[in-house]
Amino acid sequence: MNATHGSHSVQRFLEKWGVVVAFVLLFAASFWKQGFDFLNAENFRAMLNSNSAVGILAVGMTLVIVSGGIDLSVGSIVVLAAALGTTTMNALIGAEYSELNAVLIGGGVTVLGGLAAGCINGSLIVFGRIAPFIATLGGLAAFRSIALAIAEAGEIRSQSSSYFAVLGRGGIPLAFESANAGETPVYSGLLNSAGKPLTLTYSILIFIAIAIMAQWLLSASRFGRHLVAVGANETAARYAGIAVGWVRLRAYAIMGLLAGLTGLMQSSRMNSVSTSGLGVSNELDAIAAVVIGGTSLRGGFGRVWGTVIGVLILGMITNILTISGVSPYWQGAVKGAVIVLAVLVQRGSRE
Amino acid sequence: MEHPLSAISDHGSAPGIPRVLLGAERVTVDYPGVRALDGVSIDFRAGEIHAIVGENGAGKSTLMKVLCGALRPTAGSLRRDGRPTVFNKPADAMRAGIAMVHQELHLVPTLDVAENVCLGREPTRLFAVAVDRVRQRARARELLTMLGSDLDLSRAAGTLSIADAQFVEIAKCLASNARVLIFDEPTAVLGEREAARLLALLRRLRDEGRAILFISHHLDEIVEVADRVSVLRDGKLVQTFARSLDGLLCDAAGVGVNESRIATAMVGRELGSIYPAKGSALSTEPMLELVGFGARGRSRAISLAVMPGEIVGIAGLVGSGRTETAEAIIGLRPREGSVRVAGREVAFANPRAAMLAGVAYVSEDRKGRGLHTSLSSIINMTLPSLDTHARLAGLRIDSAGERAVTARWIGEFAIRCARPALPISSLSGGNQQKFALARWLETAPKVLIIDEPTRGVDVGAKGEIYRIIAQLASKGLACVVVSSDLPELIGLAHRVAVMREGRMVGELSREKLAAKDCEERIVRLASGLSEVTQEGAAA
Repeated sequence: MNATHGSHSVQRFLEKWGVVVAFVLLFAASFWKQGFDFLNAENFRAMLNSNSAVGILAVGMTLVIVSGGIDLSVGSIVVLAAALGTTTMNALIGAEYSELNAVLIGGGVTVLGGLAAGCINGSLIVFGRIAPFIATLGGLAAFRSIALAIAEAGEIRSQSSSYFAVLGRGGIPLAFESANAGETPVYSGLLNSAGKPLTLTYSILIFIAIAIMAQWLLSASRFGRHLVAVGANETAARYAGIAVGWVRLRAYAIMGLLAGLTGLMQSSRMNSVSTSGLGVSNELDAIAAVVIGGTSLRGGFGRVWGTVIGVLILGMITNILTISGVSPYWQGAVKGAVIVLAVLVQRGSRE
Repeated sequence: MEHPLSAISDHGSAPGIPRVLLGAERVTVDYPGVRALDGVSIDFRAGEIHAIVGENGAGKSTLMKVLCGALRPTAGSLRRDGRPTVFNKPADAMRAGIAMVHQELHLVPTLDVAENVCLGREPTRLFAVAVDRVRQRARARELLTMLGSDLDLSRAAGTLSIADAQFVEIAKCLASNARVLIFDEPTAVLGEREAARLLALLRRLRDEGRAILFISHHLDEIVEVADRVSVLRDGKLVQTFARSLDGLLCDAAGVGVNESRIATAMVGRELGSIYPAKGSALSTEPMLELVGFGARGRSRAISLAVMPGEIVGIAGLVGSGRTETAEAIIGLRPREGSVRVAGREVAFANPRAAMLAGVAYVSEDRKGRGLHTSLSSIINMTLPSLDTHARLAGLRIDSAGERAVTARWIGEFAIRCARPALPISSLSGGNQQKFALARWLETAPKVLIIDEPTRGVDVGAKGEIYRIIAQLASKGLACVVVSSDLPELIGLAHRVAVMREGRMVGELSREKLAAKDCEERIVRLASGLSEVTQEGAAA
């Protein structure tokens, strides 16, 4: 609201596209720093792969934040769900079940355990009328505590020798064998530094699929419309005939389900669950990605694609800092600065 | 320090002509694509109530923003006490003694009355470290007494009625020694009695030598209190009326003007009666029937029947339980007694259940409850009826269908909305209200309860909203209109029920509404004066 329309429209632009600008700048910086090494497919895949878990959490967090809430318990749900699932699986293997069945049931327990935890969060918030911040702060402490108790603060090693690790480590190879020159096969396609086919991991594929589904849900479905309406003004949503409680409950349930899925992917990748280490501070990384992506923490506005770019930005920062030899102790400071900067740029021209 | 000009205007003017405290000269404001104000020159004098009227979008709000420093004009200048001045931000205007009493009150709900009055100007002690609570309370008491209010200073602002909160807000302005007070539709949220009290206060502030700027959609109030009336239309100052020596509001030729003359100047054409012809009930079977109904703790023992085709008005002071009763019907509040819709007993758990049974409620609080101001017109329009646009079990919303429905209602109600995908807050109050109504009509209700159908809506849009309501009724809709605007109820409703302190205290039939004394009867019922015995005493 002042005479300088020029600066005004620049601000408008940054509000909407700032996250893309930041991504491009960071991309350019990485390229400048590393040259073509950065564009290396293996490097890229490594970055995507290591961030897909937090990415899935961030996608779910976007929905929760759009509804006007927050979920601080996601990291603890990840570890609890993984602990429950892996323990169940080990027990079944011990009870002479076939390994495949044990893995399937254990995986199901992990995902459904996450869903159950999300439903507990949602019920406390909707029926117990506890503020989301407080209810999920309780979950943050309680869910991890249960996981620690199950494993006596230790590690739960998977007893599965083959099937369990497939989800976390497997993928679709991006190269195929074109010729077999004696002992050594010849591949065409993308290879890793060891000359073997590069795999597009299931983790990455699941992250992409979930992001696409969530973006659709948010922007094109009735549930998404209701999420936005509830987040923008809960009272007005109630007056408009929306079942506000049911909408919010579903947001936390979806978040829990995705956290359970993340738990499954992570435990499968490690082939074990470290109850003191898995998922720690994942909630902060997820919230940071959502905020960087331009979703309003006040609710009522959000975009999943922004969150995905937010995840990539955080991943690239870690990547570039690690490659430049910056001490990991300093990386938090840089990330923190980026988060605050993102909010500054996007806070908009409020009157 | 004194500028020669101000000295002249202060002492050199004839005793009858008051001093100009604030003036605008050829002020123009351009928004991208729109000229909101076009060369407006206007002044505000000490000891004068100057009313600004105009339809929504005529430029009133823009002028207010310029005067209180929230907006820099594209061209033109401001003069304070005769000296050219520039306000870069609201704080500059405040320092110059210009205060705005906003439509939305800006009190801190958790602080008490005294703390709110002195907010930002707390008297201090101990080297300005501690708030001097004794002096703070004394100051607040002094200001409130001056306003004729004896509010409890220790009450939290959040517990005050809107009328009391407004007084605190005004006291806050006086605490800053404001000489020019801008009131933006102060009576819009008040009942009859509180409004009268506020108008008396405006007069008192005027008599103390302050300049009062008064914006209102209630032309009767303006004719009652304004010393001068400036009419804005399409950003231009088109006419000014002033009170003559014998107390009549006159135009430049000295001809007396009334409300309809002002309304004509506002819209630039002759307005017929804004109330449509009254139809009649289409059936004797009630569509909505309340028996011994009440919103628990707020109203009780209410019995009312509304037939298809009928418009029943509910009158009563603010706080008489009208809105609460309506909200209890659609399941927003705990209730007692019974509700029947088309003869069937219902107990709605939430507005959605009410909607599915054909009962729609349009809230009085358009900004907070009726609409999502940050969302687009399309989203607002289709929110209650979204199920009709849901495909694939709700996974996809038919956005083409949504746009078509929105366009249809824009056409039907003549809504001025060039870009429905923009936030609905970009529309004027009247156009927002039309959407608030249309979104519920799209759910094809059998019973429509409208709370304050024209609050903050200009004259032109008012007439259209009345026409729409009458037309819907003529097609068989049972309408309940809750309103504080008595002429509106009398002009629109077939019958008017009056509520006081949570009870139904009387009903005026169609014949009684046609009688001359009906407005007085309603006021008496609503305020608890007996109709017969006090008639002589009141005279």
